[in-house]
This record gives sequence, C-alpha cells and structure tokens, in this order.
Amino acid sequence: MSDSAQKKITKKHLKTLTKNGRTKKLRNASRVVKYGTINFGRNIWLSTAATLVMTLTLIVLSVTLVATVVLSETADAMRDRIDITLFFKPGTGLEVLNEAKDAALALENVKSAEVRTSEEEYENFLKENADNSLLIETLEDPDMDMRSTMISTMQGTLRLKVHDPDNLDSIKTLVASNILFVKNLDPNEEPTYDVNRNEIATITRWARIAKTGGLILSVVFLVISVLVIFNTIRMAIFSRREEIYMMKLVGADRAFIRGPFLVEAQLSGVVSGLLSFGLFYGGFRFLEPRLSRYGINVATISDILDSNRIIYIVLAMVLAGMLIGTLSARLAVHKYMRNTAK
Amino acid sequence: MILLDSVTKVYPGDKKPALDNVSLHIEPNDFVFLVGKSGAGKSTLIKMITKEENPSFGKIVVGGIDLDYVKRRHIPHYRRRLGVVFQDFKLLPRRTVYENVAFALEIAGMSGREIRHTVPKVLELVGLSDQANKFPAQLSGGQKQRTAIARSVARQPKILIADEPTANLDPATSSEIIDLLKKINDFGTTILVTTHNRNIVNNLGKRVITLKDGAIVSDQKENGIYRLDGESETLYDSSILKAPGFELTRADISSLEKAKKSAKKPKSKKKVI
Repeated sequence: MSDSAQKKITKKHLKTLTKNGRTKKLRNASRVVKYGTINFGRNIWLSTAATLVMTLTLIVLSVTLVATVVLSETADAMRDRIDITLFFKPGTGLEVLNEAKDAALALENVKSAEVRTSEEEYENFLKENADNSLLIETLEDPDMDMRSTMISTMQGTLRLKVHDPDNLDSIKTLVASNILFVKNLDPNEEPTYDVNRNEIATITRWARIAKTGGLILSVVFLVISVLVIFNTIRMAIFSRREEIYMMKLVGADRAFIRGPFLVEAQLSGVVSGLLSFGLFYGGFRFLEPRLSRYGINVATISDILDSNRIIYIVLAMVLAGMLIGTLSARLAVHKYMRNTAK
Repeated sequence: MILLDSVTKVYPGDKKPALDNVSLHIEPNDFVFLVGKSGAGKSTLIKMITKEENPSFGKIVVGGIDLDYVKRRHIPHYRRRLGVVFQDFKLLPRRTVYENVAFALEIAGMSGREIRHTVPKVLELVGLSDQANKFPAQLSGGQKQRTAIARSVARQPKILIADEPTANLDPATSSEIIDLLKKINDFGTTILVTTHNRNIVNNLGKRVITLKDGAIVSDQKENGIYRLDGESETLYDSSILKAPGFELTRADISSLEKAKKSAKKPKSKKKVI
C-alpha cells in the first residue's frame, strides 16, 4: 500500500477513534469528579494537612484585608470628625461669619464649612447637656435671665472639615492674613488645629502596617500552602505511579488521569474556604464589641456580614481556596505526570 | 492486522539495536507466539506496538493505523483498541475485580448501564463471576491474570497482546490462561503472546516467531515449536538448529526433551518449562 493511501486510512481511523460526543465528555467529567472525591477521602491525612495550611492562608488573607479596611475606615472616620474650629468674638453677626465661611471654602484643602452664631452655639450647648436637668433648669429660668448672659459670652464659630489634616498651612495663612479673620476672631481663644492629630497619625500608620505587613504575610502563607499542596500531590503521584502507568497503558487519556488530582486539590480548597470563613466569622463576631469599644470602626464589615452580601464573602473565600488548590495541583501534575510513562 | 516493515530500534546510548530490521505480518484472527530469551527484543517489539516506544527506523501498522501518524493525543484512543496483558498483571490495587474491569470501560466513556451489562459477562467468560468483589491482594496469581485478561477484553479489542502472561504462574494455571486466550482467539480476536514457556508453545501448535538479538531467526507459520537455539541450558549442538530453514518436528522435540531430562542430575530434577 502506498504511503499516502496508508496515511489517508490512518487519519480516517484516528478520526473515528477520537470522536468524543458531549455525553461521553460529560460522563468522563463526572467520573473524574467521582474519583477525585474518592481519592480525597482515601488520602484523608494528606488532604487534612493540605486543607489546614490552605485554611491558615485564607485566614491570614482575610484578616489582612479586613484589618486594612477597618483601620483605614477608622482613620477616615476620625479625620471626618476633625473640626478645625475658629472662634469669633461673641456677638459676631451671621453676615461676617458667612463671609468668613466663603473665604475658607475657597481654599482647596477645605472640604466643608459650617457656621454657628452665638445663639446657635447656645442652643447646641443646651442640646448637648439635655440630660443635665439642673443645668438646663438654671439656664432657662426666666427670673435669672441666664440666656442672654450666655449668648453674649458665647463665641460664634466657623467649623471646617479638611481633606488633609496634615497640611493646614493654607488655613493658618488665611487666618493670620485675612482682615476679616484678624478683626473678628476672638483673641482669647486659639483655633483648634491639633485635636486628634496624633491619634489619627497612629491609626493611619497601623492601617499602613496592616496593609503591607499583611500583604507580605499573605504572600508567605500563599507560597507555603502552594508548596504543601504541590508536595501532597507530588507524593500522591509518586505513590501511585504504577497505577498511573497502568491507566495510561489501558488507554486512559491525560484528562482522566490528571483530573482526579485537580479535583482532590480543589476539594481541599472548598473545604478550607468554608472552614476559614467559619473561623473568620466567629472571630470577628467575638472581637466586634471589643474593637468598637476602642473606637475602631467595624461598621462596614459588620454591615456586609449582616446583609445578603455575606454570600459573596463565602464565595470569594471558597474560590480563593479552589484557586490555590488548582494552581498547586496543576504545577505538580504538569511537572511529575509526564515522567510516569508516555 | 499487525505489520512491521523493516523495524529497527536503537535505544539512546546503546550501540547494538534492540530490534534489528524486523519485518513480520500477523493476519487477523491469528494466534502468534513471540519467543526468545531475555534481551531478544520481545518486550521492545510489544512496546512499539502499544506505542510506548517509537521505532528508530521502519514502519508499524496496527489494525490499519500507521503508528507514524499517531500523535501523542491519539495514543490513549489508539490503546483502547488494543487489549494488553502483562506479566505482573498491573491491576489497580485499591479496586475490586469488578471495578478493575469496569475501569477499562469507564475510560472509554461507556455509560453505567453498559458497564453493568458488560462486566458480569466478561467475568463469566474468564471464570471469575464469584470473585467480583475481591481486591487483587485477595486473589491467586491465576485469578489476577484472569482479571487482567477480563479487563483487556472487556472493550472487545480486535487485538490482544499478552507480554509473558504465564511467567509468574505455575504450569497448571499457565495452561488454563492459555486456554482462555485460545477461547478469546476463537471469538475472532488476534492474539500475540510473548513467552518463555516452551511446553505451552509446543503443545498449542500455533505460529511461533523466534527472536534472537533483536532479529527474527525463525517464523514457523503452522505447528510451530519453541526452537532451542539460543537457550543457555541447551544440551545440544545448537549450530544445526541455526541452519536456515531448519525446523524441528513435534516428534523431534519430544525426543529431545526426553534426552535432556535423562541427562540431568537428580538434584536438578525440575520440570522443563
């Protein structure tokens, strides 16, 4: 038979042989999942080790993420609470205060500005001390006429919120050079520039540490867990090399042989995703009231955990676990499966 | 069914070829013994048919498929068309007899229903119906080999290749295994068996191809017998056996065996296999 005729026949045969319908593919996929699951159970000690390391990695990852979010939100909230308060002489009119407000708002660093006249400050004072009935009664006693005395001594204020509390030069310059401020500001009371600045700096620093430190730690744990799973799979391949060789000889294709190893690692990923979420959830709920007591802002995370969005967190952790599993199993299978037989 | 055309195989680093310009043709439904001492090239030849190795030169065509054109991705599909039986059985240790046979069908993508239908029939054919739930470790050598044969024929291959299938078995079990292979051959499967087992070869009267140092030294198409040339234990002048076209008759061989037995010392009174 001529070479080209033989080639034609061979190609025809191979085409028939390799024809794989969708049903067959689905069947094979379900068998791969079945064998992967069986192997996961049979190698329970190795699976447990891999799962635990992966769980640790996922916990470090999630704690890093949460710490970064919580600390930077706390810093933001504190920054938001900062009022740079400028005190005007008692009795300064609303018109002057509004002019001062416009001048301040013209500055780039000023986010918002609020004015309060002496009357408003007095009303605010009453509100803030509403639970002190003796004080309120004394102040509001019509016979004593404390109200007008108080108003005449209380300063009007301009409260500024800024974008960057570390860079207040523009405001200081305005206060020192603008005639409106120079004339009307109460010389007896300095503007409050420095309230909470140190605390904010500390929190910001911690947020930065959490971000970079956590990132480094996460990478370290990620590498460790990839290595552990990689070695787990490598050992499994090594101990089953005869079996793999035999499977190849009876015609199992690569996907059929490799698939169960991938499924095994992915199962470790799923279990560790769920486990780490459980631990994270429990830990967070336990620490939440304690953290709040220290003024740490846990509201965002707390809101997510209380809403339907919790499912995204679970999914993200399970997916992250599966990703770590798939990555390490693929590496191991790719590197070691080739050597078992053609 | 199997055609080798001037096939030579040289392993990297070796000076001598493992197979040297071997040509042979095995017809459909043939039962062929491939004999020769260790290192003669039997396993290399089998490995090339199963596409574990590629020839350095020459062409191999199996069941109409020219192996030159079988790419890596085709190999599993190609192997599913062959039944292969090994000396060391190569069963999956953590699966039962039933599961070992079913595995061969699973990888071919057969449905669960088809598998449940086929496996009991195949186990019945090899006489293992009552051992279906046992693990390989619980079986005797013969039962293990029967399981391996059941696995290899479950997909009803056109060709069954058995590499030293009786090497680890006692004579009685060996002959049972060969009977089973014969039965499978009667169903229309082409069978190629490599063996050292002289009794089996001589009793069956099938085609016998003898390999020596990687080359075919004899191809007895009918009533073939295991030629003694090249055997280390031979008591006879092997030069006459090497003469071209020389073939021993059955009568010759039995008288030679007798002479050989009587010449042996009492302590080495073991059976000549």
